[in-house]
Amino acid sequence: MEDVILEISDLRKNYGPKSVLNGVSFQVKRGEIIGYIGPNGAGKSTTVKIMLGIEDDYSGQVNIFGRDISDGDIEYKRKIGYVPEIAEVYDNLTGQEYLTFVGELYGLDSGFASDKAKSLMELFGVGEVYHSRIASYSKGMRQKLLIISSLLHNPELLFFDEPINGLDANSVMIFKEIMAQLAVQGKTIFYSSHIMDVVEKISSRIILLHDGRIAADGTFDELKQQNTEGSLEQIFNQLTGFSEHKELGARFVSVVREM
Amino acid sequence: MQDYRTLKLLDHFERVFNSFGVDYKVMRKLLQVKLTMDGRRVPTIFSQNAKKENKEKNNQYIKSLWVYVLFGLFLIPFVLMGDNYLFQMSLFYGIFTFFVMTSMISDFSSVLLDIRDRNILFPKPVSRKTISTAKMVHVTIYLSFLTIALAGIPLIVGLFKNGPLFFLLAAVNIILIDLLVVGLTALIYLSILRFFDGEKLKDIINYVQIGLSLMIMVGYQLLIRSFEFIDLTVSFQPKWWQVFIFPMWYGANMEMLLKGAFEPVYLLFSALSLLIPILSIWIYMKFTGTFEQSLQKLAYQGKAKVTKQNKAGQILLNIICRSPEERAFFRFAGRMMKNERDFKLKAYPSLGFSIVIPFIFIINTLREDFAQLSDSKSYITIYFSLIIIPTIMILLKHSGKYKGAFIYRVAPLKSLKPVFSGTIKAFIIKLYLPVYFMLSALFLFLFGAGILPNLIAVFISACLYAVICFMVLKKALPFSESFDEYSQNGNSAIIFGLMLFVALLAGLHFASTFLPYGIYLYLGICSIGLVISWRLAFNVTWEKIIKG
Repeated sequence: MEDVILEISDLRKNYGPKSVLNGVSFQVKRGEIIGYIGPNGAGKSTTVKIMLGIEDDYSGQVNIFGRDISDGDIEYKRKIGYVPEIAEVYDNLTGQEYLTFVGELYGLDSGFASDKAKSLMELFGVGEVYHSRIASYSKGMRQKLLIISSLLHNPELLFFDEPINGLDANSVMIFKEIMAQLAVQGKTIFYSSHIMDVVEKISSRIILLHDGRIAADGTFDELKQQNTEGSLEQIFNQLTGFSEHKELGARFVSVVREM
Repeated sequence: MQDYRTLKLLDHFERVFNSFGVDYKVMRKLLQVKLTMDGRRVPTIFSQNAKKENKEKNNQYIKSLWVYVLFGLFLIPFVLMGDNYLFQMSLFYGIFTFFVMTSMISDFSSVLLDIRDRNILFPKPVSRKTISTAKMVHVTIYLSFLTIALAGIPLIVGLFKNGPLFFLLAAVNIILIDLLVVGLTALIYLSILRFFDGEKLKDIINYVQIGLSLMIMVGYQLLIRSFEFIDLTVSFQPKWWQVFIFPMWYGANMEMLLKGAFEPVYLLFSALSLLIPILSIWIYMKFTGTFEQSLQKLAYQGKAKVTKQNKAGQILLNIICRSPEERAFFRFAGRMMKNERDFKLKAYPSLGFSIVIPFIFIINTLREDFAQLSDSKSYITIYFSLIIIPTIMILLKHSGKYKGAFIYRVAPLKSLKPVFSGTIKAFIIKLYLPVYFMLSALFLFLFGAGILPNLIAVFISACLYAVICFMVLKKALPFSESFDEYSQNGNSAIIFGLMLFVALLAGLHFASTFLPYGIYLYLGICSIGLVISWRLAFNVTWEKIIKG
């Protein structure tokens, strides 16, 4: 069970003169749920995009399933599922068409993919829009569609970038349960979010990224021991060196009142 | 999703694709999805009840092809003319290239430069080669429809007139030209993507599009210049620069094989005609990975520059737009036009044309004498610059980010008047005025300062025309509709009708020059017309917009 699914060493990436990642290294083992957190612009999504081959031109090494992903072989993607942060889909298609298409891209038979997608949509409470155009979906429906599209091919490794964006409280509960069940099945989940109490509850390990570096890495209990604060939110504030929220909030409102 | 006949046809080439390292099965899926989406360029918001979706709507693009069939009819004379194949077929291919290339630049650039694929498909186990080949084939499918619409009837006429060999050769030539056009366009984009970054890249792409449009025009002129008309017979003098006029390569092919005239120049042309298309496609295939990779640059914003408010501009703006709301929309529309890639991709090539077309007409009349020109009334050709107005007025309703238009409804807008008038003013000043100034400067140089009142009259007419276009066209809030709707039918008929207005204005202007002080009369009438129409045009209510 101790096999390493994902290994990143000294990952660096810059957009022009601006560096986003300054030497990120970590390992992920099978069955872990990694909560990948950090302030806006810390480089979370960039890390995920590099691992999926959406971004190139990085330095450092990324090994997934024991292979360097820069070797040009894309087969590793077959065992990966991905929910992107910004939901781009071909929204002229219906849910059925899009999901079947995605399933087929992962090598599923189209009839099978369609049936599977249908039952997943129904279980997620959006069965009635299965044959409607995605353009007419609400934000929550789109998000559910994306989650389903990432799981159709029963992947080993999952990247969820803000997956519960727009989901209602009940759906969030279903989703958390899905993640827990997937982890029991030995799936590895790489999860990034800004909603700290969800991350706190579901992650088996938390990696905090700040200014393109890893600021903390460990289980929630370990983080609590290293830092004096109680909740993950407070730890987050402490590690990212942020304590002026009260003052900033008050100043913000005072500027709002200017007319 | 339905299966397409085109794809079934493509299945025959499965092996070819596979041998290039393309996963044909996956590519077919991609194409099927793309074609389905193309067929649905209908505003989805209005057709939410998806239950009755069994009969797929016909592809709007295919419907718009009849225009090209019409243009194709103009090609028939070149086939029937005689048997100076080098001359007539070079012209034939020249005109054909013109249409294919312009439609490639304006319609297909967005397909080639699409970055949505990247985010959706890259995480999936699909090789980049497959993705970019699918893109190429997607473009090629439409290009073949366009080709058949354009050249189909003339070629059949040629078959009866000049025999099956002619037909076969012409068909092969046309396929080669298509390949060349696709390959060249892709290579040009590839090299720009390679060498530029961020904001600059986007600007350069637009300049290249304008440049390409100009080159086609100039090339076409050179093509005609290659032949001299002596006593109604056409003779051909080889010159070095003709090597670059590629329609001639294909004309040479015809001359050589149909008449057995194996001259060295023809052999050179013929070799080029085969080599260059294959070479360009081959190079593209070689660098196709780089192409996809470089595309991501389009997604990045370059470093943000803080734009300084220009004092003089500010004062000018206060004069142009009285109310603060109007000023806000003027600035907003100006920035949208400047920054939105989709808009620029569609609008800028036609801006390029509007600069060139007047000169082409002048050059054609200028065969005789330069001195005669300044006495002539050829400056009326500046009215050709007006024909971009309806197209851009329609474009102004669309945006790639049209959903942002919710802001109009949220904001406490008392009336819609400043929305429209601000936008139209922005269009006239930011887009039309530069074109107009450039043309005016050149015309003043060519025709002398005496035409100044005429030029002013042209500008007033242009403003009047813009308002007329606004009144005639379907009303919609600026930047509030998806570009998918833009390509819908109906537009070309309206644009064509509106162009007749340009002819009317130009005709009146021309007639007025025969009266003493007539031009001032025309100027006065136009100004009054402009003031009145400006008052009336923008009283648009919300209800009108919702109903359409």
